[in-house]
Amino acid sequence: MDIQKTLQVLTVVFLFVMAGNALQGQDASQTYTKRVLETTEVDFLTSYYSQTGDNAAVSGGIGTEELTDVTGTFVVSIPLNDDDVLTIDAGVSAYTSASSSNINPFDGGEPGDPFVASSGASRSDVWTNLTGSYSHSSDDRNTIVSGKLSVSSEYDYFSLGFGGGLTKLFNEKNTEVSVNANVYLDKWNAIYPSELRSFVPGANGLANGFFAGRTITGNTNYAPIFDKFADETRNSYSLGFGFSQILTKNLQGSLVLDFVQQQGLLSTPFQRVYFSDVADSFIENFQLADAVEQLPDTRFKIAAGGRLNWYLNANVVVRSFYRYYSDDWGISSHTASVEVPIKLSDKFSIYPSYRYYQQTSADYFNPYETALSTDTFYTSDYDLSEYTANQLGMGISYTDIFTSTHIWKFGLKSIDLKYYKYDRDTTFSSGIVTAGFNFVLD
Amino acid sequence: MIKKLIVFSVVACSFGSCTVLKEYEKVNINDPDMVLQDKKCDRNVTTMHSYREAAAGANGGKTGGGCGCN
Repeated sequence: MDIQKTLQVLTVVFLFVMAGNALQGQDASQTYTKRVLETTEVDFLTSYYSQTGDNAAVSGGIGTEELTDVTGTFVVSIPLNDDDVLTIDAGVSAYTSASSSNINPFDGGEPGDPFVASSGASRSDVWTNLTGSYSHSSDDRNTIVSGKLSVSSEYDYFSLGFGGGLTKLFNEKNTEVSVNANVYLDKWNAIYPSELRSFVPGANGLANGFFAGRTITGNTNYAPIFDKFADETRNSYSLGFGFSQILTKNLQGSLVLDFVQQQGLLSTPFQRVYFSDVADSFIENFQLADAVEQLPDTRFKIAAGGRLNWYLNANVVVRSFYRYYSDDWGISSHTASVEVPIKLSDKFSIYPSYRYYQQTSADYFNPYETALSTDTFYTSDYDLSEYTANQLGMGISYTDIFTSTHIWKFGLKSIDLKYYKYDRDTTFSSGIVTAGFNFVLD
Repeated sequence: MIKKLIVFSVVACSFGSCTVLKEYEKVNINDPDMVLQDKKCDRNVTTMHSYREAAAGANGGKTGGGCGCN
């Protein structure tokens, strides 16, 4: 795909839409300027996630995918004056993963086995994130300028991100057009499968101490294809365009178009691949890697999505979403979801939902033992395979507009609790419980 | 892809021809459940999708970068 041509067309489309809407009329009814945010708000978000499956990428497409993850995030929005809002977003995510424990499957108490979690250091990790964002609204509230800076870190990955956006409202705020751009400058601290570390230059291969006292079965002349990745950076550049419109008194919709260009180390260094044309070697019950996945060092993605929300009546809203995605690795996907919030009373609502997801396979995906050693690119990561997934969800929301319950100076405005069950047409399934607590400063 | 962009632009432009509502007519549109983005508590669900699925973007979530996911 010619990226430059695509971006040129997109820019023309964006300018055309902006100009067209600007000509339709300006908001001349400016009488009272409300503060953008009346008072400081604090959101506490938390979740518990669990997944299972038998196609772990760490062990070349076979093995346990069991993983649990617990998150906690505070989002504090502070009005600096009538027009400006500063938002601080600080989060922690702690996971325990059976598959990543098998980066080194031999450091546990049991024999190495792709279907058994090891107990070594790679079994768990903590991801931390801090994001600061700032937005300024014009006096007529028809222009919003924003910027953000983010830092996140985990043991083998560090990310620095920054970006900005511009939003324009037209037609007495019936129409909204936005553009945003973000850059992430990421860096891996690459970790490789334990058995491959002996094959870097100077590590002596099978004569390395790692193999001392361990018996190789099957092909005893174990000789993997392995070189460390020379470049451990991963940069992502995204450009997004948004358009939303009130259609009737009860209907509004939006369209979003995102372009992302990534470059650098897009492979995951600890994901094994087993070749069909190489004899298999084992230690205990664990098959030794023939290589780690190799993926191109560039990737271009396009995602186009639309939302349509319909206020059916005072008790029921229908929220719908559709997205088409395509990238130059050969993957295309369709996502469709519908959520139907139902108000049970002034304070309680329920949120039943359904989501459908389908993707085609990446050109480089090969199931266990099907890649060839002569291939340039290969992966056995089932997240890049062809599959269909269905997700069912249910949530309940409590809202107290009078914030009668307090913690220190903060009044509790709402609580959201949701559960989602996600199933692929493979062995993979997952579940997540999420909760959100919204407080406002008195 | 160019054809898809043209279709996208035609749909976007046609939205602009809709009736303009006054502020006092937006009672239903301003219902919290009518917001054209996910609830904040759904953020971790979107993040989970971005880890486990190849597709990302166009939903207010991450489009890549910032984590070891796609």
